Amino acid sequence: MTLSPALPQGGGRRVDPAVAVTAVILWALLGLFILYPLGMMLYRVLSDGQGGFTLSGLATVLTNKHNIRAFWNSLLLAALVGSIGTVLGFLFAFTAARARLPAWLLMVIDAAVLLPLVSPPFTTAIGMIFSFGPRGLITYELLGLKGVTVYGLTSTMFSEVLTYFPIAYLTLRPILAAIDSNIEGMAMSLGASRWKVFTTVTLPLCVPGIANAFLLLFAASLADFATPLILAGNVFPVLPTQAYLQITGLFDLRGGAALSLALLFPALAVFLLQRYWVGRRQHVTVTGKGAGSTPFDSISPGARVALLTFCASVTIIVLYFYALLLYASLVMAFGANHTFTLTHYRVVFGEGMRAVKDTLFIAAIAMPLGGLYGLLLGYLVAKKDFVGKRSMEMVSMINYALPGTIVGIAYLIAFNDPPIELTGTALIIIACYIFRYGPTGIRATIALLSQIDKSLEEASAGLGAGSSTTFRRITLPLVLPAFFAGLGVVFIRSMTAISATIFLVSLSWTLVTVKILENMTELALGPAAAFSVLVVVIVFVVIGLIGWVLRFFRAGSMRVTSILGG
Amino acid sequence: MDVIAPVRVQIEGLSRRFVHRVKGEVYAARDVTLDVAPGEFLTLLGPSGCGKTTTLRMIAGFEKPDAGRVLFAGEDVTYLPANQRNIGFVFQNYALFPHLSVAENVAYGLEMRSIAKAEIGKRVAEVLELVGLRGYEHQFSSQMSGGEQQRVALARAIVIRPRVLLFDEPLSNLDAKLRVQMRDEIRDLQRRLGITTIYVTHDQEEAMAVSDRIVVMNQGSVLAVGTAHELYHRPGSEFVARFIGRVNLVPAKVKEVLLESIRVEALGAVVEVGMAPRVAVGDEVRLVLRPEAIVVTPAVAVTPAKAGAQGGELDPRLRGNDNAHWTAKVASRVFLGEKMEYRLDCAGISLHIVRYNAGPAEVLEEGATVGLRVIESAVSLLPKEGV
Repeated sequence: MTLSPALPQGGGRRVDPAVAVTAVILWALLGLFILYPLGMMLYRVLSDGQGGFTLSGLATVLTNKHNIRAFWNSLLLAALVGSIGTVLGFLFAFTAARARLPAWLLMVIDAAVLLPLVSPPFTTAIGMIFSFGPRGLITYELLGLKGVTVYGLTSTMFSEVLTYFPIAYLTLRPILAAIDSNIEGMAMSLGASRWKVFTTVTLPLCVPGIANAFLLLFAASLADFATPLILAGNVFPVLPTQAYLQITGLFDLRGGAALSLALLFPALAVFLLQRYWVGRRQHVTVTGKGAGSTPFDSISPGARVALLTFCASVTIIVLYFYALLLYASLVMAFGANHTFTLTHYRVVFGEGMRAVKDTLFIAAIAMPLGGLYGLLLGYLVAKKDFVGKRSMEMVSMINYALPGTIVGIAYLIAFNDPPIELTGTALIIIACYIFRYGPTGIRATIALLSQIDKSLEEASAGLGAGSSTTFRRITLPLVLPAFFAGLGVVFIRSMTAISATIFLVSLSWTLVTVKILENMTELALGPAAAFSVLVVVIVFVVIGLIGWVLRFFRAGSMRVTSILGG
Repeated sequence: MDVIAPVRVQIEGLSRRFVHRVKGEVYAARDVTLDVAPGEFLTLLGPSGCGKTTTLRMIAGFEKPDAGRVLFAGEDVTYLPANQRNIGFVFQNYALFPHLSVAENVAYGLEMRSIAKAEIGKRVAEVLELVGLRGYEHQFSSQMSGGEQQRVALARAIVIRPRVLLFDEPLSNLDAKLRVQMRDEIRDLQRRLGITTIYVTHDQEEAMAVSDRIVVMNQGSVLAVGTAHELYHRPGSEFVARFIGRVNLVPAKVKEVLLESIRVEALGAVVEVGMAPRVAVGDEVRLVLRPEAIVVTPAVAVTPAKAGAQGGELDPRLRGNDNAHWTAKVASRVFLGEKMEYRLDCAGISLHIVRYNAGPAEVLEEGATVGLRVIESAVSLLPKEGV
């Protein structure tokens, strides 16, 4: 460990040399892998090629009618997904927190809700095509409809809502759970009906959380590349797919970059709103001694049945999609020939094996580095005093906040030519993952450190431990859960991400998710389903392992799933 | 456990400033000077924000003073980091390491001193026995009650045989019954081990129960130092009088200065006071009357006409063998089991007195008129208000 932190002390602002060195190294990395690519992309879009500044590149792209439509489509889709997904997430969270479900039912809901979060892209899209496509299970087999088009706004929205509503659930459930039930009981004792309690106490207390969930979903939908690529089709173009097609179809890197810049402004606005406005408006409702296990009937039996029925239906739809995926991976050709076969898995473990190995290799490298990056930067920002630490935290969040399309295009532009030529290497993909998904670990570390009372480190010093011993024996073990959680997120995303890395894969290094996309475009849905099943299995195994490791640490209750939401 | 050679702690002119958002520059501690005798139990007492915790943290080395020195056994430790001072510190929130078991928590300080494993095991077992936690070795703090956690924190602090034991409001997270029990345990343990101890609390009763001497602080400064007896009977300032125990402050005027006492006139009666600061005839002063220093008596020294004007006949059940200084009317009372607290109205001044329970017949009725006599030997004087 390069850190030998001094005890936090009153007046002195002497900077520990170890802290200074670490900060300088981190700044160099942030500069190279976050600021430099972004700068290069802006330069490429705004430069006229002779060292001058021009808006013509941007103007050409942004005055194109098709692209203007794509811009408004993106916002419309994001707003719809944000609203519907938040409502869905709230109902789930409310049911989980208030309906007094038996433990096993909560676990089923949690697992079903977790599935979309850790799945490779296209999963729900594949399910939509299998169900509602021209030869779909529901449209064709069940209803006997012919010539149905599944492509367009409705199915894209439906698919994205199913994929992203768990984010809202994970954001809102802790907020609902943290509302002291005495507060609701108090309102009831003052004469309010259950519905009145809900509308005048519970709901208002959740408003900041609801706003937060909406913004998170809005951002996720805005950045989503995989779903619209498959389901939106030509009728409903959106920005991320337009930028991708501009580059891969028309080989117009500058145009693609300009398009992705159009995405940057709404994405940045949403991120800043979420972090610096809504994030600071959470109500604290834990007042002194909590109600503990005091039972409280906050919902009527009828409402309970309605909520349960609703959640069960949604859960069944999610599970149905995944059952469909598994089934499709095991039959010859879904919708035409339902003979059982392992052919598709032979493809996966045959010609597809290279992509699987590449993905695992890249994930295995990115995982520890991303975890370490999150731990170091989080520790430095939370515990140390040095010039520019606020801006360091801000900069570290940029790649996390921006849609993957922008990050991917920026990397493509920045690292294609000397001085730093990384295109075609595994390093470019690894770096992309570390700086795009490491911030989850940073936030987890900061959150955990803020829970650790200063007196713990003082107690250690008082007992005779030096500052490095205190760090090693007290602080480090207490933040390790954040390290493992951050590590888990980097791994999961390395297995499932596509929006940024679609621009970074090469002949020498490819990824499973890209393989799934290739199979989808060739209409080889069987192998696509088999690849997806494999990814889901690997991710679940790794989550299980990390959960097992986390159980060894008694501090806090950090769960990988709980930080996937933020 | 072995008795540790006690250490003298001297604090000289310790000051610490900080900048307050509204008040500007404020002293958290201002020129605090204390001399703690070897093996003494000293308590820093004061309201929240009085600087007692800041002072303690500077003694521990968690904070650096802007001025002044801290000496342990004559050695200047002002700039010695906390981990080299050999102190035992007990935090208000206990600060148990949540990822370590009870035994590991207690062993932590011993490991820092590179003590052999076998010896560590022996000493951990010994100290856990001492604080009554044998069998708790493999528990974690999250599984324990507040009182048990408190004992672990105590064991962890004393097992290293510290030169000085420091407590920062260690009992404030416990319920009232446990607080009394733990404070007695802390006091017994400290006596047995003989470690010089500095203890911070805002609870005057706790301070009186455990301390050899009490330091009363307010707004960063030391107002008074003394035993509980001295501070209670001769508070020296209104703040101390009001902070330690309950008090009636009655305005009075010096009538006569005698060789060993002073006669003052208060509420129309003459009271002779033994313990008094330097005063001259004609000075305005205040009598410091503790609730138990005023007793109820049937006899009336003041003019009968005046007594009659105050509300008729005295209660015939009252027994006393001395003349009353004043008459007063019972305004309200609170029954507390072993005692009854009364609020009396005496010539426009509200007096608070306490009578120990001598059976239901001795209870004074609300509205009754009684005579009051001051126990003169228990009275002291303060200068006039605002001086």
